[in-house]
Amino acid sequence: MTALRLTWLLLHKDLRIAARSREVLGFMLLFALLCVVVFAFGFLREGRAAEEQVPGVLWVTLLFTGTVGLLRLFAAEEEAGTLDLVSRTHAGTAPLFWSKALLQLAFSGVVTCFLLPVVLVFFDARLHGTGWILLSLALGLIGQAVLGTLAAALLVQVRLREALLPLVLYPLLAPLLLGGVKVTALAMGQSPQQAIDGWLELMVAFDAVVVVLSPWLFGRAIV
Amino acid sequence: MLTVSPSSATGAPLPSSAAPPAVGSVRNLNLALGFSTALVVGVLAWVMFVTPADTNLGIVQKIFYFHVGTAFGMLLCLVGASACAAIDLMSPSEPIDAAGRALTEVGLVCALAVLTSGPLWARKSWGTWWTWEPRLTLTLLVSLVALAVMILRDIAGDSAQGRKIANSLAVLAAPMAYLIHIAVQKWGGTHPQVLQGGGISSSDMRIAFWGSVAAVLAMCFSLAALRYRTLRSEGQIQLLRLELSARELRRNRKEAA
Repeated sequence: MTALRLTWLLLHKDLRIAARSREVLGFMLLFALLCVVVFAFGFLREGRAAEEQVPGVLWVTLLFTGTVGLLRLFAAEEEAGTLDLVSRTHAGTAPLFWSKALLQLAFSGVVTCFLLPVVLVFFDARLHGTGWILLSLALGLIGQAVLGTLAAALLVQVRLREALLPLVLYPLLAPLLLGGVKVTALAMGQSPQQAIDGWLELMVAFDAVVVVLSPWLFGRAIV
Repeated sequence: MLTVSPSSATGAPLPSSAAPPAVGSVRNLNLALGFSTALVVGVLAWVMFVTPADTNLGIVQKIFYFHVGTAFGMLLCLVGASACAAIDLMSPSEPIDAAGRALTEVGLVCALAVLTSGPLWARKSWGTWWTWEPRLTLTLLVSLVALAVMILRDIAGDSAQGRKIANSLAVLAAPMAYLIHIAVQKWGGTHPQVLQGGGISSSDMRIAFWGSVAAVLAMCFSLAALRYRTLRSEGQIQLLRLELSARELRRNRKEAA
């Protein structure tokens, strides 16, 4: 059985569990909605939510929502005591890591599809440069899912993990958040291409680093 | 890790392997710390009373002598800590791990000094306590990551797992810090470029500058050495305690038999 097939099997199992209980995804969607509403209150000016806040609200909501279900990623394996077993495949720990990262990516992808129209409607904004914004969202979600999976795996057996997760994750995700906010703001303001490119390159570099380093550290720290 | 020799069951003296490792006696380390602290105080006095005030910035520029030294200290300590974490992750070694922990903690103390002296200076020369300027943002974020590593290590305890977890984060922090650096650089800023810009004009200033950097680094080094020594002793005490309870268990078993 190849590593790819193993990854797919593990992912398929998790997707089926998610489809049956719908707990984590449901809470993520609800949390995203609540976040936007709270932000709208915070940024209300003369009865209207300000359009220029859209990039910040969008990305910070994604950041917060991404951490909501994160610690449940390894919960099934942890409760059944099978974490050790599934990480000892002949293909190493990589299949387990990538199946969880892809699961988290699928969750946050669904959240984003829901969140983007909600933010636009609530903040009465129009989308310009949609392609760039979608690209930055894809890059942001990949980096966040991969780094988040590593953080969740590191913290799964640690006391006070709920409190530690943001402390570990948010400072490290700062470049991605900055890049995402900047690309979205620049694209919406119809800025020149060059300004957007620089930030997209930064996001690609970030994704490259975490995609290479995270599975390696996962293998080192878990087994 | 735990080596209980057969002879210890009979109450023989504890094996000499359990003696604390020699990194210089505590007395020497205390002396080194005292000496470097006196050096820092001396340099600060020199800066206050001898070095001329900057013609443009005035007396507040003198914070610079302390500020840059602690910033260097922070950089060296945290880079060293990350390197130690990487080495320990590849081939676990108690001394390397203790060195990494000590450097993280001293690096954090330096970060605190930088983040205190920076705004004091900024208020006077830029007119604001804080601005989201690249180096300030980088320092803040990096010290938050270092804080996370330290807290994680404290909470995860001394288990092998907890050590690996904290070290993984410390390893990840190094490339991330570089990316944060690029990101905040692009974000824009106005940090004074004193060293590159040739801002140190008089030789008095140059002496004071390098003197203060050397003094602060010496203090960082002795603090780290002292902390390293404490951590190693803690590890040894842990071992001795384990050995004692193992002995007690054996004696009880013998009496019961």
